[in-house]
Amino acid sequence: MRRQVLLRFLIPVLVVLHFFLHLGLGIVRGAPDLLTLALLLAAREVGMGAGAGLGFFFGLLEDAFSVLAFGANALAMTVVGILGARTRDLFVGDSLLFFFWYLAGGKWVRDLIHWIVAGEGARGPVLNALVIDGSLAAVYVAIIGLLLLIPLGGKEALR
Amino acid sequence: MASYTESPEEGRGRRNLIVAVVFFALSIVVLYLPAEFQDRVAAGLRISVLRPFLLTQETLVQARRRAEDAGVLQARLDSLAAALAAQAPLVAESRRLHELLELRERAPEVFQAASVIRPGTAGSESMFLLDVGSDQGVRPGDPVLMRDGRIGLVGVVRQVRPGTSIGLDWSHPDFRASAMSEDGNVFGIVEQRRGVFREEDRLLFNGTPFFEGLEPGTLIVTSGRGGFFPPGIPIGEVVALAEQENRWRKAYWLRPVVETGSVSHVLVVVGDVVNEGLMELFLGEPGMSADSLGSSGREPRAPLEGGGG
Repeated sequence: MRRQVLLRFLIPVLVVLHFFLHLGLGIVRGAPDLLTLALLLAAREVGMGAGAGLGFFFGLLEDAFSVLAFGANALAMTVVGILGARTRDLFVGDSLLFFFWYLAGGKWVRDLIHWIVAGEGARGPVLNALVIDGSLAAVYVAIIGLLLLIPLGGKEALR
Repeated sequence: MASYTESPEEGRGRRNLIVAVVFFALSIVVLYLPAEFQDRVAAGLRISVLRPFLLTQETLVQARRRAEDAGVLQARLDSLAAALAAQAPLVAESRRLHELLELRERAPEVFQAASVIRPGTAGSESMFLLDVGSDQGVRPGDPVLMRDGRIGLVGVVRQVRPGTSIGLDWSHPDFRASAMSEDGNVFGIVEQRRGVFREEDRLLFNGTPFFEGLEPGTLIVTSGRGGFFPPGIPIGEVVALAEQENRWRKAYWLRPVVETGSVSHVLVVVGDVVNEGLMELFLGEPGMSADSLGSSGREPRAPLEGGGG
């Protein structure tokens, strides 16, 4: 119960913080993708429908500045929301290792779908976009997610 | 006896699945919406939900600019005083630089100063937001120039709304500009070439005649052909020969005058530069006009004076 209450507060904060860092301060790569992190955390608590809806809305917000590939973020985040919610039925997810790989994998899958859908004009080479930048960004998000476990009750928050 | 009614859990699961499928389908639809509708949706989000974050960056950019201006103006004042005291010809040069840097005051109907905001979100590369819009006379297709220190082509305005507009810089895949060498002898098209990393994106001066050679360091400017960009705006300098094709054409790598990452304050060309008699601002000689280049564009011109900077 405490975790759910904290998550309901934490997720909007993560969304606001994401846009404050990226839009408000103009930080591009230095700031983590807190929007995807918020979606992945929320998806583990809600059903597939709510996960898809949240992902669609978050993706649409990011697409507001995507002149080259409008809709790519919306599609990617919708799929991540669906898959994230689906993991509730497949994995218990009470270990730190699962949590780390869930966040890293979710972020990487989001980048992969965006890269595929964005088209040639809006994406960089696969080596740069997915292998190097994508992997680093995925690990970055996973580490931030692990740090967020502390106020949620540490490892106990995963049970 | 088995129950013939659906359990609440099964019903909830089916509803979740239907909702998920609906949102997935909606995201596919959004992806293939007409561009005009996409722009409207994006603009609606920018002026509503995301507006506070944009205002934050605008405020920070303005504050940074004011802090920089104070130091820069003091340094310029000190330099001008020393130059005037030292040599008389520097008076004319400083006046010339001052005129170039104060373009908007000299021709308020032609140039509109603006600050640049980079969204920093995924998919927004090669685009920027301007804090001027249709109510300041900005229209889609207006060229965007760098103002601070050196005049150079940044890109072009793409979408316009009251008070704000969106532009694309030269690193956009669709960027093209009809261009020529500084002396007006060699004509071609400047286009973008993607590097292995985005930081390696470069400009290519393509379609030049095979028998016309360009030396490294040659300044390439807009030619004015097609009526899209006014003639004479510096784009880049020749670095090296990129490719040549069967004694037919050559292409050269250019070092851009304006690096897209350094752009913070720009000028939008909202008026008719040619008819306003302001061509010397770009071409560097009083009385020089676009017509004097002629259709062959072979009339030699003096190198640009600091108009680039």
